Amino acid sequence: MSILDKKTKREIRVLSGFGHVSLAIWALIILFPLGFAFLAAFKSNTEIFIGNPFGLPSNWDFASFGRAWSEANIGTYFINSIIVVSASTFGTMLLGAMAAYVLARYDFFGNRAIYYYFVAGLAFPVYVVLTPLYLVVQNFGLLGTHTGLILVYIAYSLPFTIFFLAAFFKTLPNAVAEAAMIDGASHTKLFFRVMLPMAKPGLVSITIFNIIGQWNQYVLPVALLPGGDAQSKWLLTQGIASISTSAGYQADWAALFAALTIAIIPMIIVYALFQRQIQSGLTAGAVK
Amino acid sequence: MEKDLTRRSVLQRSAAAGLMAVPAAGLLSACVGAKDEAPKDDNAGTVTATNPLGVKEDAEVEVVIFNGGLGTKYATDVHIPSYKKLFPKANVKFSQTEEISTVLTPRFSSNTPPDMVNNAGSKLMDQGKLVGAGQVADLSDLFEAPSLDIPGKKVKETLVPGTIEQGTYKGKPYVLNYAFTVFGMWYSSKLFKDNGWTAPKTWAEFTTLLDAMKAKGITGYAYAGANASYYQYLVILTTAAKIGGADILKNIDNLQANAWKDPAVLQAAKLWGEIGAKYMDKAHLSLKHTEVQLQQNQYKVGFYPSGSWLENEQAKDTPAGFDYNVAALPAATASDKLPANAIYAAAGEMYFVASKGKNVRGGKEYLRHMLSKEGARKFTELTKVLTVVQGSTEGLTLSPGLASSSKALADAGANNFSFRWDSWYKKMDDECRSATNELMFQGGTADKFVQRMQAVADAVKADSSIEKFER
Amino acid sequence: MRHGRYPFVLGFLVAPVVLYTIFVFYPITQLVFVATTNWSGLSPDFDNVGLENFEKIWQDSTFWQAVQHHLMLLIALPLITIALALFFAFLLNMGGGTRGGVMQGVWGSKFYRVVFFLPQVLAVVIVGVIFSRVYGPDQSGIINRLLSFVGIERVLFMSDYGMWAILGVLVWQAVGFYVVLFSAGMSSIPADLYEAAVLDGASRITIFFRVTIPLLWETIRVAWVYLGILAFDAFALVMVLSIEQGGPDGATAVLPVLIYKQGIRESEYGYASALGVSLFLLTITFAILALRAGRREAVEH
Repeated sequence: MSILDKKTKREIRVLSGFGHVSLAIWALIILFPLGFAFLAAFKSNTEIFIGNPFGLPSNWDFASFGRAWSEANIGTYFINSIIVVSASTFGTMLLGAMAAYVLARYDFFGNRAIYYYFVAGLAFPVYVVLTPLYLVVQNFGLLGTHTGLILVYIAYSLPFTIFFLAAFFKTLPNAVAEAAMIDGASHTKLFFRVMLPMAKPGLVSITIFNIIGQWNQYVLPVALLPGGDAQSKWLLTQGIASISTSAGYQADWAALFAALTIAIIPMIIVYALFQRQIQSGLTAGAVK
Repeated sequence: MEKDLTRRSVLQRSAAAGLMAVPAAGLLSACVGAKDEAPKDDNAGTVTATNPLGVKEDAEVEVVIFNGGLGTKYATDVHIPSYKKLFPKANVKFSQTEEISTVLTPRFSSNTPPDMVNNAGSKLMDQGKLVGAGQVADLSDLFEAPSLDIPGKKVKETLVPGTIEQGTYKGKPYVLNYAFTVFGMWYSSKLFKDNGWTAPKTWAEFTTLLDAMKAKGITGYAYAGANASYYQYLVILTTAAKIGGADILKNIDNLQANAWKDPAVLQAAKLWGEIGAKYMDKAHLSLKHTEVQLQQNQYKVGFYPSGSWLENEQAKDTPAGFDYNVAALPAATASDKLPANAIYAAAGEMYFVASKGKNVRGGKEYLRHMLSKEGARKFTELTKVLTVVQGSTEGLTLSPGLASSSKALADAGANNFSFRWDSWYKKMDDECRSATNELMFQGGTADKFVQRMQAVADAVKADSSIEKFER
Repeated sequence: MRHGRYPFVLGFLVAPVVLYTIFVFYPITQLVFVATTNWSGLSPDFDNVGLENFEKIWQDSTFWQAVQHHLMLLIALPLITIALALFFAFLLNMGGGTRGGVMQGVWGSKFYRVVFFLPQVLAVVIVGVIFSRVYGPDQSGIINRLLSFVGIERVLFMSDYGMWAILGVLVWQAVGFYVVLFSAGMSSIPADLYEAAVLDGASRITIFFRVTIPLLWETIRVAWVYLGILAFDAFALVMVLSIEQGGPDGATAVLPVLIYKQGIRESEYGYASALGVSLFLLTITFAILALRAGRREAVEH
């Protein structure tokens, strides 16, 4: 036993040493570009594009943050993004869970057909349907509104959500459901009171997928929240892309990187705070 | 636009859409309405001396301005106030975008376009296709109308010669090219003065100078391959025109058989290909225009081909005393058909009125305000870019770059020329960007360049779905 | 399950189906229809051209170039991402010593978990802008600066290795999420399974391959599908990073960018739609194959 112990210990030491090195390297690979982006907010165009990428800025001038915040409205866009993504993620999860649940656990005519109808959407890239989609949204009078964008986000997130949640609902044990039904619970009550809580781990992980996907969405807001009147409703990705395109002409790269920093930092804080919940939410959901 | 749409009305509308969705062609026809319908003209007002286009005085006019190198201040601070001064009851609905095409294509395909559009930027719409699709209003009456503030002159009489032709498609003026741009090789007067260099007149002088720069560790010649190879193909074709005459460009525009295989084009490509192989930095292939321009500002690049907007674009990053200056491309051979000071100069930056907009007259009237002497002068003041309105720089202090491009234009006299194929046939533009990068950076040959371009020109010519233009 | 079943089923399905039909299915039918026309997208007029657009696609060399790139991404992206993510997750969860019979992650694993996940919260546009400096072709580029310290001559990433550079960014961004996903999976594997293996004298590496991977198989499969779908995208990155959006000479061509260029730049909406239909067929083929091929009896535990 003691020989074995020693062997394991040595192995652990080696593994741990090797592990530390590789983890640290990957952490650096992640942090370096982010650190560069942060420092670039203080640099001049010349320092950014010609200077030493590891060099410190020649002066620590916060003016670029002011420009990003006020002239480029990053603050407003950030709040808009939060509004849209919260609403659409909630809607996606509610509608997605309802559909997935019914498709996974009820036998009825057309069940498979509807399931594949949704899942086929998984393979569909949004940008190819932009013009028809634009016209549909316009016909509903929803162009340039957050409502329109939220509905579209929900619709495009459904395939993925239903695909994974249906698989998840299938794995839930029947016994609990049957017991509840015998107690006289309605189907709706069974879903909201019993099945949803049981499915929490799966819901959490798919919610995260959706938040990330929708938060990063770029093409849809550009098409559906065009400039002009709708500009006050723009989302963060649009705002940043807008600075980055106009930076190509007016060349205010520091403001662009300041905007990036403004956009990144809250996300980092939120993630660090909720890290534990995300992890535990994923825990049960992942291996099923 | 309804903001507080209830869930219920959404569902009702959804049901309606479901019905509409049955035939596949539903969308294209249903939401567009009758497609052959003549544009409604319910926004007509009375024609008077101050209102020659008969604009309805309280009708809203919608303008969309590209937000790029010129910014949009010239619209919001100059032209819109000018319009509103004449028509105080009218609202000018303004919006700006970096993505003209993404934002406006759906509006054109649903026949609900804005009235006046500044079609520009890397994501501009294919202007030739727009004209071909009948989406652009004929500007003849605008050019015939009296100028806003130049007494006794019609708008067309106030413009730099060639302006109207530059926006003419199939014999009719559809597009106003507002900015007047001079193309050449830009350099720093300071760098040249410090080293005792002068702008080269002949190819031999050019290469000698490039050698001298190389010896000093300066990249003699540079352009940005990642998004600005268009500056370089313009240079190659300028040299071709100098060698063989400006008709070569006309033949290319008109898709004449073997226009690209003209010996002058081949020779120009060969000369520039050698410059690429010998004096350029391969790293510039993956840089964007602003990045290379920054390098020039730091005296790391000698010559940079560009249009006269360059000085304004770099204003913030140009060190004091840099002094932008532009030189015409050097003569290519001893037997060039055009003199060494011949330059590429053209009206550019497209503005057009949508034929199916709600207020076509208002759109044209807006252009008339842009073409007023005051409107043009303030545009130049704000953007440091010349306009096509003659004499509009009177009383302005010209910056070094602007002064040098005015001088280059004057030196060239009648020997200035331009081409149009790049905006007529986007497919050729795309191919030429690739072919140019191959030639200049990736060891391509002049033969290959010419072959690629001839092949795409032939393909465009053979494609009946592409609307053809001639000049 | 008897009473009120159909009303219930109907009630639960109606909203999602309606929403999906209007905003996803209906535009798709339009797309399929447009794919058989020569519509420019700039006016309401068009002619029906049958399958002409698809014939053109068949002969379009850039299309095939793009397909090759997608195949490359389809293999390399999931392979590299999943391998790295599994490796890191293993270290974070089991790389440390054993305490009280339970294996520990290496020291600092909480920190690493936060850091690795960071790229996920960045919008792709942001990532693109940052990496344009990472791949800068001269001494101002982050990687080239590093290489110069060890005396390696500059590498022209976007000129010479465009697709690999794009792959690098995709991996950079994706790994963190899968580390978290796999970590979650690993921590839910019952400790007694490991204890038994440790008692049997199995090395950490044997445990990894014999116990961890089989138990995580379903998760890995899901990851594979998701990453595979990502491999058909790469739109924003190519738009921001590459030379002439997909160049030089198609070296970074991907289908979404071709669609964008044809539809928006060249106003060939009919052709762009046909490309869209082709992309759809490719993606769905992959999804079906991946789900079929990866199917395997889930290991009960």
